[in-house]
Amino acid sequence: MSNAATVFIVDDDEEVRSALQLLMESVGLPSETFSSAQIFLEQFDLNRSGCIIVDVRMPGMSGLDLQAQLATEKLHPPIIIITGHGDVPMAVRAVQAGAIDFIEKPFNNQAMLDSVHRAIEKDAQQRGEVSRLLDIEAHFNELTPREKEVFQYVVEGKRNKVIAIDMGVSQSTVEAHRAKVMEKMAAATLSDLMRMALLLDLL
Amino acid sequence: MNSKKILLLFFIILIIFPPHSFAYEKDILIGVLSHRGDKATFKHWSATAEYLSNTLNKTFRIVPLDFNQVDEAIKKEKVDFLIVNSGIYVNMEVKYRISRLVTMNNLVNHHSLNVFGGVVFTRKDRKKINNLSDIKGKSFIAVDETSLGGFQMVWRKLNEHKINPYKDFSKIAFAGIHDNVVMAVLLGEYDVGTVRTNILEKMAEDGLIDLSDFKILSPVKHDTFPFLLSTRLYPEWPFSKLPHTSNQLAQQVAVALLNKSIPHPSNDKRFYSGWTVPLDYQEVHKLFQELKLAPYNKRTPFTLRDIIRKYWTWLLATLIFILSMAIMSSWVFKLNRQLKRSKVDLERQHDLVLNSVCDGIYGVDTEGHCTFMNKSMVNMTGWQPEDLIGKKQHEYLHHTHPDGTPHPSDECPVYHTYHDNITRFIEDDVFWKKNGSSFPVEYSSSSVRDSSGKTVGSVVVFRDISERKQAEEAARKYRADLTHMARINTLGEMASGIAHELNQPLTAIATNAFASIQMLESGSANTEKLIDILEKINHQAEHSGEIIRHLRQFIRKEQPERSLIDLNELIEDVLLMIKPDINRSDVKVVRKFDLHLKKVLAQPIQIDQVILNLCRNALDAMNDTPTEDRILTIATQSSGDNAVIVSIEDTGSGVKQDIREGLFDPFVTSKANGMGLGLSISMGIIDAHQGKLYLDSKPSMGAIFRFALPINQENNNK
Repeated sequence: MSNAATVFIVDDDEEVRSALQLLMESVGLPSETFSSAQIFLEQFDLNRSGCIIVDVRMPGMSGLDLQAQLATEKLHPPIIIITGHGDVPMAVRAVQAGAIDFIEKPFNNQAMLDSVHRAIEKDAQQRGEVSRLLDIEAHFNELTPREKEVFQYVVEGKRNKVIAIDMGVSQSTVEAHRAKVMEKMAAATLSDLMRMALLLDLL
Repeated sequence: MNSKKILLLFFIILIIFPPHSFAYEKDILIGVLSHRGDKATFKHWSATAEYLSNTLNKTFRIVPLDFNQVDEAIKKEKVDFLIVNSGIYVNMEVKYRISRLVTMNNLVNHHSLNVFGGVVFTRKDRKKINNLSDIKGKSFIAVDETSLGGFQMVWRKLNEHKINPYKDFSKIAFAGIHDNVVMAVLLGEYDVGTVRTNILEKMAEDGLIDLSDFKILSPVKHDTFPFLLSTRLYPEWPFSKLPHTSNQLAQQVAVALLNKSIPHPSNDKRFYSGWTVPLDYQEVHKLFQELKLAPYNKRTPFTLRDIIRKYWTWLLATLIFILSMAIMSSWVFKLNRQLKRSKVDLERQHDLVLNSVCDGIYGVDTEGHCTFMNKSMVNMTGWQPEDLIGKKQHEYLHHTHPDGTPHPSDECPVYHTYHDNITRFIEDDVFWKKNGSSFPVEYSSSSVRDSSGKTVGSVVVFRDISERKQAEEAARKYRADLTHMARINTLGEMASGIAHELNQPLTAIATNAFASIQMLESGSANTEKLIDILEKINHQAEHSGEIIRHLRQFIRKEQPERSLIDLNELIEDVLLMIKPDINRSDVKVVRKFDLHLKKVLAQPIQIDQVILNLCRNALDAMNDTPTEDRILTIATQSSGDNAVIVSIEDTGSGVKQDIREGLFDPFVTSKANGMGLGLSISMGIIDAHQGKLYLDSKPSMGAIFRFALPINQENNNK
């Protein structure tokens, strides 16, 4: 299965579903439709990229329920909520929960397309960030326990001499570990290392 | 005395044992006024009877009569001859036509006189009383009121001097006996007295008085009359015959008596000296006439007593008759008055009742002419009694139908009533007023019969129903407004669902259209694809239109016209409207339609409203039911040939027992936000369609509401 950005349409109304699909088709975006949130959850592969358009009001699981469910995952395509009768509290809740957009039906189709494109872009970006984090984690995991210890001390801002005393080793040993950490983490500068530490929640 | 007794005995023997020679002959009876007692009468007159008997060879007998018996004796012819005083004679002469034969020669103080008079006297020492004009104011005594010589002659004299003895004396008395009068005056008990002539002289002769002690008032001197006299002279007693006594006998008696003036053994010298030719009794008549005494005054006590005595039975009968007549007539009069009063009362009550009722009332005779009308009718119609009474009422009140078409009189229910005697009630008609306008009425027309049962016309009672009609219209409008308001309210509650329902196709349309444009612009579209899309758009637009049309219909004010509706279709329409609610509630809808259902005549929007209300109630009732159990079952079925039944069944919590009671009352609700109008309005609608809405019992969970509507047979057959 190719991982081309796809628009996943979840709506119980067949008319709307097929219209949205046609809209995506008209701008050359691949799309897939689901008649309910449950079916979507059963069939969807989280690794697939693109965006999800979901109707708030559906029998069984609602759009907001689906959003909440997906939020538990590390990564999922951005969600565009569409609604027939949106109200402000509902929109706020949806956006706070991470929806990229909240569009009222009947919607401006261009706005919808813009929103879809923005979502796909964001998905790509999200996906980039996630893969970098994965790289950093992979690098971090390659560090020896001693090196992880030194890494910790370094990002906490301790000097080599202090680290050497704390660890009960010589200062040159600390320097060697530190060089190894920089090398393994592919960090050019200390600030790079600090940013990685932030992503890794070491601080 | 001895001789008297012997004489009496003789007479008694004569009466009891009459001589044989006379036994077969009737005795001739001579009635004699017995003014001094029967004994004296016999003593004085028996010799005369004896003389006549002997002379005429017949038996004459004396019959003493006291004053009261004289009249009856004459009337009943108990006697044949009569010897009475001049006064009684004159009375009897007038009354019974008795006639005098001879007049008595009275033997007085050795004078034989056939006339006598009255004398008025006083004591000589009464210096101030010298003539009749002096005796006014004095006390006066006479013998007897009825005594001719002892009172009446002097009375006539006084009368001529304008003296009324009963008024002008200080006192008047009657002593009964002449001697007593003389003595009363002599003793000074009375100032003036009167007695008949010769009494004073006789008393003086007997030594009882001295004439010189007396003074005669108004003395009259008469050549041939030897006694003191104050009045005219009047004839002495006559001997008279009764009408039945034969003239021959009378003549014989008269001759015998006149002869008797010659001294004869039978004459009682001490009493009278015989008989003379009859004198003129005219003066006695005059006296009675002047004094207005009997027989010239019917009112004298004598006459009245006589009448009473004579006719008392008749009088009594007459009196009783008059009395009873009087009682009867007063009773009849009273009755009549009561009747009159009751008649007036009745008429007044009749008028009062007629004029105090609010309904108009008028009568019609068999010709159709108005016979009477009450006040309310005048007030309502403006027609005055003079406008209508005697006229054909139909042409004034009833000539035109409300729609303006003429109303022929032969179709008038009022006319029909007195032809067939059937009472009619007309609920909706108009009467025409005098001013040319009309007003709606309801009226009854009942026939009126007379006492023999013959129809004489009819009575119409009518009522102006303008206000009622307005009230009915207002109530109808109010119901319609309430129903409409409830629909708007329902729609408000459903608005978000409906908006969603409309949004869906609109969204689809917009999106499909946009996509088509995109495809056309990018050149990626082919005709087939586009046609496909446009067909979709068309369908979606139609769907939207349908929803909107339905909404508009639903929100519209009702039209009173009913039309034939297919309930299955109607239910589908309603389901379309509540589809969003059904979707949201996750309810499964089951249709159990009778596909051969007949159409009903109804107002579609109202029936829509009922179905909608019942469906929404059903959906609400299933809120607490597990999703998989939520089933809304809508069924239609025919009920016989004349009704259809629609059932709406849910699987909710059912209707609690405590709510059931007032379930269809307004403002009864179990919902937090409900107004409690749905079921009451639905009930009102179904009622107005002559249908029935009810809650059916259900064995399992939930409730079934059913309503039945009648089928209009006629319309279905078309």
